[in-house]
Amino acid sequence: MNMKSEKEIRETEKVRQIGEELEPVFVDDILMSLKYYVDEEQAHLKIKDSEACKTCVGRGCLYFCPVGVYSLQADGTIQVGYQSCIECGSCRIRCEKDNIEWKNPRGGFGVAYKFG
Amino acid sequence: MPKTKQKKNKKLSFDLIVVGAGLAGGTAALSAARKGLKVALIERGQTPGGKNYFGGTVYTHALEEVFPDFWKRNPPLERPVTEAGYWMLSETGMTRITVQGGELLKNPADAYIGMMAKFNAWWVEQAQAEGVFLIPKTLVVDFIRDARGAIIGVQTDRPEGEVYAPVTIICEGVNNILTQKAGLIDHDLRPETVALVVKQLISVPAEDINARFGLPDSDHGLAVSVIGDISLGLTGLGFIYTCKSSVSLGVGVDLDVLDNHHARPYDLMQRFLKHPQIAPLVAGGQMMEYGGHLIPEGGWRQMPKLYGDGVLVAGDAAAMVNALHWEGTNMATVAGKLAGEAAFEAHQRKDYSAGSLKVYQDKLNDSFILRDLRQYRNFSHFLNTHHDFMDVYPGFINTALGKFFSGFGQPKRQLYRDILRSLTRRKPLLRAVGDIVSFGRTIIGW
Ligand SMILES: Cc1cc2nc3c(=O)[nH]c(=O)nc-3n(C[C@H](O)[C@H](O)[C@H](O)COP(=O)(O)OP(=O)(O)OC[C@H]3O[C@@H](n4cnc5c(N)ncnc54)[C@H](O)[C@@H]3O)c2cc1C
Ligand code: SF4
Ligand code: SF4
Repeated sequence: MNMKSEKEIRETEKVRQIGEELEPVFVDDILMSLKYYVDEEQAHLKIKDSEACKTCVGRGCLYFCPVGVYSLQADGTIQVGYQSCIECGSCRIRCEKDNIEWKNPRGGFGVAYKFG
Repeated sequence: MPKTKQKKNKKLSFDLIVVGAGLAGGTAALSAARKGLKVALIERGQTPGGKNYFGGTVYTHALEEVFPDFWKRNPPLERPVTEAGYWMLSETGMTRITVQGGELLKNPADAYIGMMAKFNAWWVEQAQAEGVFLIPKTLVVDFIRDARGAIIGVQTDRPEGEVYAPVTIICEGVNNILTQKAGLIDHDLRPETVALVVKQLISVPAEDINARFGLPDSDHGLAVSVIGDISLGLTGLGFIYTCKSSVSLGVGVDLDVLDNHHARPYDLMQRFLKHPQIAPLVAGGQMMEYGGHLIPEGGWRQMPKLYGDGVLVAGDAAAMVNALHWEGTNMATVAGKLAGEAAFEAHQRKDYSAGSLKVYQDKLNDSFILRDLRQYRNFSHFLNTHHDFMDVYPGFINTALGKFFSGFGQPKRQLYRDILRSLTRRKPLLRAVGDIVSFGRTIIGW
């Protein structure tokens, strides 16, 4: 993590609150518009060590994923709804503990944009 | 001897393998096939284009470079760009700086609005018509190398899925997994150098689009970048493109800031759609498709090595995007074309070593691609360190012009003082002047 100046931290705090105040979207509504060929046999995303998520500070995956694939369980672990992944790759590079095993879905599977 | 020959016959081999049937891969395959090479184009999606995503606009110069008769081929595009520029949002207001007419009156226009999945599918059909062999629904997982380590083929996820060729062109898009495996870059994408963009395509009847956006008819289209309130002061921007009977609206933010600010992309998107200046434009519309994609914005500073023994890389996989100008498709197509030609020249020399394939880099050096990327090499860093361009200045411009055009009956000296104060309240004047100077330097490339 890079060092932040006092000012940046203040700004971060300010925006962080706004982020929390955003009116939440019901993700299933936006997912309805997407077409998938779901691979029922193989998940292309896996948490490497579910214990590590319990001590993860940022839990960024709960925020940046554009389709809400990751959800927090009561025991502090993360559930992966790989079926709705749109393969953007954000979690591949942003999970702060490099704790996600990310593969492209097998050939023919995954999201299929109609318009793009 | 006969034994090895038999084995060779069983092998699936081509003159060239292209991985990924996006615009870069489709064009690389096409340009090599045109020169007579036997080309396999391997795509993991059900069909070419199904995985690909953009705003967006394609650019005539690049399309015509690949197909001189482009317009006779009836490409599936939406509208020409006849109005372009910036919309700057404040919390409730908006200032538009756009151009129309003049340079934007050309026929064909310089830029056309399209839908990537459709356009990409069509593009690859054109390539297939010129002899490219498409292998869809197939994921390339690794390379096959000879004893010296040169790449001589790819391993796919199909049973007995080896495919051989003396040259492979990697056009895998932004998630550069194979580019790393090929040894062309030694690190993964850095979150601060990629933007995560989400978008909604919303259906609106053509007549309503024309009326709401002030377009004379459906042969006119608008393409704007949206800055200011849209990204909540995070490094990011949005866009709006008018299609024939739908509107494409998106928001992109640097990946490293979203979670820090607990901002979810779809919540930002919804906030944008509910902005008082934006909502009426898509009122009553139905969402046709949501989606998201990364844009590699690191440019010059995040580029991999572009050639190796038996391998080349083009398009997003090589970070060939000019983020300020939304130029990615043209770089992907032109780089793809040059890579295909470099592969052909290597075949003529029968030398597929890095030294022979370096001709690709030379070609890119002579093209707009590397010249522009070099010129803009500091831009991504500039935005990361000058958030005010995304937030403070657009808000200021809105306030300033708002005051200027509404300060009737107010002493004008006082009015100007107010306007200046609305800037200096946000930012010390000298710093603001400094910002503008360094912005200029960044895009000129000093
Ligand atoms: C929201 C957004 C808006 C944009 N707007 C514009 C715009 O207005 N104008 C513009 O010019 N550019 C725009 N861009 C950028 C532009 O879309 C891209 O730069 C360009 O499309 C990249 O093309 P590509 O062929 O390199 O990659 P992609 O289109 O990503 O193609 C990569 C292909 O490789 C396939 N693939 C990947 N890995 C494998 C594998 N292992 N095996 C087999 N197949 C594989 C994928 O399925 C995919 O088909 C935008 C980008 C985004 C995300
Ligand atoms: S960001 Fe990574 S480590 Fe943290 S909770 Fe999510 S998956 Fe687990
Ligand atoms: S790749 Fe993108 S869409 Fe898929 S789980 Fe990761 S962040 Fe979500």
